[in-house]
Amino acid sequence: MMELIGEMLKLTVLAGLTLAGILVILIWKKGLATKVTYLRFLVQVVSMVAVFYLFTYPVWQLIILIVIFILPLLLGRFFCGWICPFALIMDAITLIRKTVKVRYRLLPDKLNKFLHNFRYVLFLVFLIIPFLLFLFDPPSSFDTSFLLAMLLSGPFEPLRILVGPLIPLIVPWEGPLAISGVYFSYPYVQEVILYSEVVFSEFIVNIIAWIFVGLTFVGSFFLRRVWCRFCPTGASIAVLNRFKGFKWAPMLHIDKDEEKCTKCGICKRVCPVQVTEVYEQKAGKITTSMCTLCTRCVEMCPYQDCLKVKMGGKTVFRSRNWLEPSTIE
Amino acid sequence: MITAGLDLGTQSVKAVVIENGKVVSRSKAFSGFDPEKAAEKALDKALKDANLSMSDVGHITATGSGMDMATNSNSTVSMMGADAKAGIHLFPNARTIIDVGAEEARAVKCDENGIMMDFVVNERCAAGAGAFIEAMARALEVELEDMGPLSLKAERASSINASCVIFGESDVVSLIHKQESKPEIARAIFEAMADRVSSMVHRLGVNPDVVLVGGVARDIGFVTSLKRKLGVDILIPEYPEYVGAFGAALVAAKRLKKVQEK
Amino acid sequence: MKKQSKEKKYMPEISQKEVQELRKTITTTSQQIITENIKKMKKTDPNRPKAMKYFDEIADFTKREKEIRAAKQEGKKVIGYMCLFAPIELILAADAIPVRVNSGWYDASKLGDRIVPVEVCPMVRSTIGAKMIALSPYLELSDTLISVLTCDGMTKLGEILSDFKPVWTMTIPRVKDTEQSLRLWSEEIKTIKGQIEELTGNKIRGKQLKSAIELTQKATKAFRRLQELRKGPPVIMGRDAMLVNQTYMWDDIERWTEKTEALCDELEERVSQKNWACPPDTPRVMLTGTPMIWPDNWKVPTLVEEANPQGILVADELCSSERLLFDPVGVDEWSMSDMLNAIAERYLMASTCPCFTSEDGNEDRINWLLNKIEEWDIQGVIYYVIRGCMLYAMEYIRVKKVMDSKGVPVYYLDTEYTREDVGQMKTRIEAFLEMLSARIDL
Repeated sequence: MMELIGEMLKLTVLAGLTLAGILVILIWKKGLATKVTYLRFLVQVVSMVAVFYLFTYPVWQLIILIVIFILPLLLGRFFCGWICPFALIMDAITLIRKTVKVRYRLLPDKLNKFLHNFRYVLFLVFLIIPFLLFLFDPPSSFDTSFLLAMLLSGPFEPLRILVGPLIPLIVPWEGPLAISGVYFSYPYVQEVILYSEVVFSEFIVNIIAWIFVGLTFVGSFFLRRVWCRFCPTGASIAVLNRFKGFKWAPMLHIDKDEEKCTKCGICKRVCPVQVTEVYEQKAGKITTSMCTLCTRCVEMCPYQDCLKVKMGGKTVFRSRNWLEPSTIE
Repeated sequence: MITAGLDLGTQSVKAVVIENGKVVSRSKAFSGFDPEKAAEKALDKALKDANLSMSDVGHITATGSGMDMATNSNSTVSMMGADAKAGIHLFPNARTIIDVGAEEARAVKCDENGIMMDFVVNERCAAGAGAFIEAMARALEVELEDMGPLSLKAERASSINASCVIFGESDVVSLIHKQESKPEIARAIFEAMADRVSSMVHRLGVNPDVVLVGGVARDIGFVTSLKRKLGVDILIPEYPEYVGAFGAALVAAKRLKKVQEK
Repeated sequence: MKKQSKEKKYMPEISQKEVQELRKTITTTSQQIITENIKKMKKTDPNRPKAMKYFDEIADFTKREKEIRAAKQEGKKVIGYMCLFAPIELILAADAIPVRVNSGWYDASKLGDRIVPVEVCPMVRSTIGAKMIALSPYLELSDTLISVLTCDGMTKLGEILSDFKPVWTMTIPRVKDTEQSLRLWSEEIKTIKGQIEELTGNKIRGKQLKSAIELTQKATKAFRRLQELRKGPPVIMGRDAMLVNQTYMWDDIERWTEKTEALCDELEERVSQKNWACPPDTPRVMLTGTPMIWPDNWKVPTLVEEANPQGILVADELCSSERLLFDPVGVDEWSMSDMLNAIAERYLMASTCPCFTSEDGNEDRINWLLNKIEEWDIQGVIYYVIRGCMLYAMEYIRVKKVMDSKGVPVYYLDTEYTREDVGQMKTRIEAFLEMLSARIDL
């Protein structure tokens, strides 16, 4: 066991270092306004690699679930901004869009807010669908232990929805797409296949899967972080923090100083998920469950100490006078 | 410790000599075309009255609109600062000091230490200063010192029409033709002036105790109207036109003490 | 758009002779005032930074006039603007020269009285007067003027000046944080972009716009560096710093940035040597209000820094000084649409001009002032208003209430474009500074 872990660590570290090397060169040449973005990119890549290795051991899956759902009580939606592999895929597509200089689109504010609340509905729907599908094929008995087993590892594996985005593109199991022995997968695609298999034939299921992939690709090409706006995993993460009793809990949050803010609107404009609370709220702790803590707003705010990322009272990252032009784009 | 204060006003220069906070002598001279000379004259006379010479004086501070012209002074202080200092000295509870001079009016808000907190100046509306009364007295053909007692005889004030009371002279003539009595016209003049001054003071806030200084404070007509407009009692020192110079002398004493302490 | 009629809408007929005479007298007076101002600044601070020499040269309009004239010979266009909202980055990207044409000449305002009533903003009257006798070199050399309709005076000024020059208007919404306002302003920016491209014959492409934005970002960096240096004990007199800020309005921006950085280097050296421009316990004053344009309008800063007791201006909230460059253009993605978005938002939303209204009562300006007071250790604020400006005058009470609650003395100073009230201004300013000194002593 230990040697396997050692092997895994070695490979992860190696992969990470190479990428780090490339990115460090890029960061050094870039301006202050994008340094944290590149750091975040690096972290996302490392975590995608780590997820790949973690998935090879089933016991880790449960631990992953605990980590994803317990830690955010304290850290907020840090997972969404820095670890989620689906986010990495969406950010990579955004990078492609930037290179070909295509303009991004914005959702109207009302629609964005609607989707934000709609997430919870989606989340419930996904929890309920497996039970509904049982109606097609009712089991012999309905006792609680059976239900629990169904919930956690039954044929429709509803909780796997929650782990949906955690798919590194190359998977260590039999994924839906195989090319010369390497298995590829895509976030949520296996769940989509699972559900559509109930009703449709294999041929149609494949088409549906590809349509799903295509839609999310196109979506995240024109809308930044399109899935994050209605991601059910995102809804479940730190959902407790929305309730008044738990508002104190996220130790990692964004803090705003009222007097330094000039309402220039840069934070609202650069936010990939179109959060407006950072702009609209006057001062203090910004708690909004839509924010993925990508800290782009803090990075781009041009007034010293106006926005800060605070961890338990201590400032880990503050907005500063980044006025140094970038040399490459 | 002997110090002196000079108030170079537009009409006259006032000099006050003090010793250890008490007034020893005061003197006045007309400014005319040479305020500098007038300042020298006033100071010389004040020193003579007190049996002192220039060398006895430790520090001279000048104030007033012509303060930069007093070459014999050691330092200057603003009118507002001088008024605040003197006001607190004479009336320890004074918090608003109104100074109506010949050609301008000002008001100072101060705290219990005589430190200025806010001030307001009015040099633009001539109907809020002493020269206005002089012009109106001429129009009514009444002696300046009789204007006050005359106005107190009136039960009501005539109405003066013009928005700018400087046109009052022609107004006065037409009022006389309308058979308005001189007391009523005099009272109207004081009401108009008190109106201007009180609206200036309101910008500052009326904080009791209210003190009135400056030559115009001697005029009972104006004081009565002002009391009516402000709605509070007004304290007036014994020699109101010398208060500015007195304040300057107090400032001089403070500065001399500071220098001696070093 | 209607064609401009040949007949002048506002300008009266003036004989050439009169124009020449007035121009000569006022130009001579102007030169005298400039030399005098600079002399006074040198006198107040005998150790004036050597780097100020460059700015003194630019302050005398002749040098820059020659440069712009030469550039025009080569075919470059000059675009004048009267308000801070004109998008300078677009002008630079089209390889044109931006110059601010507000007038700061007192004598010219009397000429403006012939056309508009005396109650109108003195700066507007002065600009009209300057145009009547062709006094301002920048106004004369402009090929077109951008008139942003911020206040009543500015709105009609554009109309009056259109008798002589083509004027492009930009409508600015009076509420700045709603979606529809941003849409209107973005459309105005797009239209102006088209007009600039048409005038200069240069298409504004992404690459040029990017380098223009980077140029102004660099300028903002140098500018902020200078203001940061004014935070501690005084290394530079307020008038000198204000002059540096002002020259940005006419100067070649790249060169200005370079020279300002050199000045900052020199000032940093002074800090390490503890070489102060005036005693560290001098009362620190901030100016806020209507813009003060060089040369004549240096009246109040001169009085403050030469008063007895002396005061020093360490910060200001004037659109001719610190508001020029405080906010950078924050671009997220360097694509054309995002750059234009960034430009539109920076000019509209970051502004603290009282021409905007909001439910929270122009809180942006209040926050800006409070931040300055805290970080620059301001002891007193002079609220400066030129008679006729309704917007700034009306916001005075708002600012006063906030300052009173923070315990910072504010003094309302209203004046005109005239030299005759210098004596009265002096009395008031000296009393105010005396008040501040007494508070410091306590």
